[in-house]
Amino acid sequence: MCDSLGVNNKATYPVMLIALVKGICRPTFTMMDKTEKPETKKYTALREGLTEIIAIPTYWACGELTAKLASKFKFKKELPEDVQKSLIKRASKNMMFIGVCTAALFVIPGLCSVAIKPIMDKIMPDYKPNKKQNPEDLNKTASLPVNTVNTIFARPSINNFTGRKAINSVYNTQIKTGMKVGGV
Amino acid sequence: MIGMLSKIVTSSPLTTMAESASTQVTCETTMKAIGRPGFILIDNNIDPDTKKYAAAKEFLYQATCLFLYAVLVVPLFKKGAFKLGKKIFKDHADDFAKFKNTDDYLRYRKYAEKPFKSDRVNNSKIDKLFNEELRKELKTKENPEMFNRIKGTIEAGNILGSVLGLAVLAPQVSHMIIHPCLRALGMEEKKAKTANKIDTKA
Repeated sequence: MCDSLGVNNKATYPVMLIALVKGICRPTFTMMDKTEKPETKKYTALREGLTEIIAIPTYWACGELTAKLASKFKFKKELPEDVQKSLIKRASKNMMFIGVCTAALFVIPGLCSVAIKPIMDKIMPDYKPNKKQNPEDLNKTASLPVNTVNTIFARPSINNFTGRKAINSVYNTQIKTGMKVGGV
Repeated sequence: MIGMLSKIVTSSPLTTMAESASTQVTCETTMKAIGRPGFILIDNNIDPDTKKYAAAKEFLYQATCLFLYAVLVVPLFKKGAFKLGKKIFKDHADDFAKFKNTDDYLRYRKYAEKPFKSDRVNNSKIDKLFNEELRKELKTKENPEMFNRIKGTIEAGNILGSVLGLAVLAPQVSHMIIHPCLRALGMEEKKAKTANKIDTKA
């Protein structure tokens, strides 16, 4: 393997291998995240996996196609045949590298933005990542009584200047520093 | 125009870049850092806040990958592969012994790929940089020994390092770095305020 890599290390090898391992590892790490909801985790992991599934053949196709274009280049006819052959070989390597870079810059992001959403809609039709909160829920939240613990929009705790946490009651409004005015 | 294009496409420095796994991965990651956030930003199906957040997150992820790769993976695996190869490939021990380290070998290879008559025969730099045996190879042979096993070992190390660094290490590190960075940029606060509106996984 080392001999073959030493003679011809194609630009597609490392990027395809990275995409393959990323396609396995990133979704696995996402699924291991305990802070996310199961549905969100599943959606994100699928998206990440799909991105790499699209990336692998795209890198290969772009690399090979651009490498084939190298033979279309015309070099000076006065050059000896062996020099021309070596130039074509070099051009083929360079074109493959350019092809891989083009795939990373334009082709893969473009393909992903076009293809992933419809695929995800088919795989998880009920899950909507851009789903906004139902206005009725917001109204319910707004109408919650003040003394009820509101878990959605929790009230910030108020500290007095002595460092003690103030009691969350109607007496919080009273001034706790300076001269005490009034009888309360 | 076509002549210039041919010159670029057949240029020797570009071939050196194209043959090195570390350069390939660095370029690819840089392209990703530009392309992916760019495509997110021009997507009309996502709302503007989500677009900004997702593009910033993607850019930060790729930037973390690039930084990690340049700082940790390339130096470690490039040098490590040469040392490991020296120990593993006993049948090529003589070849490995001719070079001090990875950089020394890559310098030799760079000269070996240059045209014989114009760039090697009367090049005084070769005398300064290499020992007697390697000097003889470069200055007297049109096709000098390339020591492909050494090159392959270095590249295999680079590929292994790239895979471990970018696919295993980078997602973990970026997970720790991205959120504080987004908070510093004021995007996480925004996310918290409009938590139901922004799709953080876009």
